[in-house]
Amino acid sequence: MINLMWSEKYRPKNLLDMIGNEEAKESIVNWLGKWMKGSKPVLLVGPPGIGKTTLATICAKQFGYDLIGLNASDIRNKQRIQEILGPVLGNASVLGKPMIFVDEVDGIHGRADYGGVETLIDILKEPTVPIVLAANNDKSDKMKSIKKVTKTIQMRPIPPRLLRLYLEAILKKEGESLSLGTTVKLILQSRGDIRSMLNSAQALVTGFEPTMEKSFVTMDIEESVNTFFKAKSTEEARAILFSLRIDPREKIDAFYSSVISSPLAKEDMQKMLEIISEADMIYGKIMRTQEWRLLKYLDSILVGLFKEGTPVRYSQFNLPWPIINRLRWDGRAIKGIISILSKKMHVSRSDFATFYFPYVLFCMKNKILDLGLDQSTNEIMQKEMAILK
Amino acid sequence: MKFPGTCIVCKKKIEINEIGLWAKGIGVKHQACADEVELKCLVCGGPAGCPQCEFSADCDLTKVSQLCICKNCNESKDAFNFYQKAVAKKFPILNLKI
Repeated sequence: MINLMWSEKYRPKNLLDMIGNEEAKESIVNWLGKWMKGSKPVLLVGPPGIGKTTLATICAKQFGYDLIGLNASDIRNKQRIQEILGPVLGNASVLGKPMIFVDEVDGIHGRADYGGVETLIDILKEPTVPIVLAANNDKSDKMKSIKKVTKTIQMRPIPPRLLRLYLEAILKKEGESLSLGTTVKLILQSRGDIRSMLNSAQALVTGFEPTMEKSFVTMDIEESVNTFFKAKSTEEARAILFSLRIDPREKIDAFYSSVISSPLAKEDMQKMLEIISEADMIYGKIMRTQEWRLLKYLDSILVGLFKEGTPVRYSQFNLPWPIINRLRWDGRAIKGIISILSKKMHVSRSDFATFYFPYVLFCMKNKILDLGLDQSTNEIMQKEMAILK
Repeated sequence: MKFPGTCIVCKKKIEINEIGLWAKGIGVKHQACADEVELKCLVCGGPAGCPQCEFSADCDLTKVSQLCICKNCNESKDAFNFYQKAVAKKFPILNLKI
C-alpha cells in the first residue's frame, strides 16, 4: 500500500477545508468573482506553509480557471517571461480560462534578474487574465513597485490553537492520537507551517517512537543519517527521512558521502549507489524542469537505502578518513619538501613533483640520498617509498 | 484626543478630550481596548479566552489571523465540523458551489 504524505492526502479541496485567514480568503474570492479584463492582480503576502498556493489553486478550480503556476526562477529575465506568458496573455480566449499564479515573487532581486521585475510589472499593469502573485515578504524595494500595481492581501500566521484543532481532526480521521505535550510541541516547532506540522505528526505516528526530551524533529543531519541506518523497520527509516527537512541536494550528498566511505560489501555498495544515482537523477530533473511536485518522490527513492544491520555511518567526506588524513597532512608535508627541492633544482614545483620526485624517492629508498629530514617527515617519505613500484 | 475618531478595536467613537492611543498609518484605539487584545472565537462569536490559552506564551495576538476558537467550542465532540459550519455561516461566500 502506498503511504501518502498527510500534507498531500489532506490538502484542502475547498475553501472550507482551509483553516484561518477567513478575511483574506473572502477578499480573494470577491476579487476573482468580480474579475474583469484590466482588474488589478492580487498579491498574497504571508509566511511559508500557511496556504497561499493552496488558496490560489482552490479559487482557480472553483471558478473554473486553468491555473498556470510559475515561480521566481521562471520569471528571471524578460525573454523568459515573454516566452512563457506571451502566448497565454495574447491568446487568452483560445486557451480557455487561464489564470496565472506566480509564487515567491519576493525571490526575484538583484542584477541577475535582467529586467524580470520590470517586464512583470508591465504585464501586471494591463492584465488580460487573472494574475495572483505570492510572496513571503513585501518589504523590499522591488516588492514596493509590485505592490503599487497589485491589490495586496495579507495572510497572517494561524493561531496555534486553530492548528491544534486541525491536527486533532486529521489524527482522528487517521485513527491515531498524540499526547497533549507532543501535540503542543509539534505545533510550536512547526511555527505556523501547516505542511511541516502534518509531516512531523505523520512521522511520529507511523511507528517511530522518539524520546520526548529530544524528538527526531530536532535531529541534525549526522544524527538523522545514523538513526536511519540503525532503524528497526522501513517505516521507521521513512519517518526519519521525512523529518530530515534540509535542502534535497544536501540530503543526497550526505547519503552519498556516508555510503561511499563505509565498509560495505561490493554488491551492497553497488545497489546503494544505484539508488543514490536514481535520487540524483530525479533531483536533476526537478532543477531542470522546476517541477517541484516531484520532490515528494525523493524520500521514497532514498528509503530504498535502508537495510537492517547495514554498517553505514554518517560521514561528511566522500573518502575514508585514513585517506583524507593522508591527503591533508602528509600532502602538506610532501608539498613543503617539493617546494624546497624544486627551488634547488631550478624547476617548477609541478615539474619536480611529476618528473623528479619519484627519482628522489628511489634514491632515498636505495640509501644513495639522505635529505636529513626530521622524524615525522621521514615517516611520511617512508610511506611514499612503500607505494613505489 | 484633539479630534474625534473611531477605535480600531471596538469600532466605537472616541470623542474629543477622551484618552486614545494613535499611531500614524494604523489608527486610534481606546486606552482600555489597547490593553485587552484578545482573539474572537469564530464558532460562538465570544472572546477566544487568550489569557487562559495553552499557547498564550507562543501566540503573537497582533500578528496571527484574528479568528480563533475558544476552549469550550474546542472541547466539543466534533469541534472541527462546528468550526467549518461556523465559517460557512459567517463567510457564506467561502462556501462556493460552482
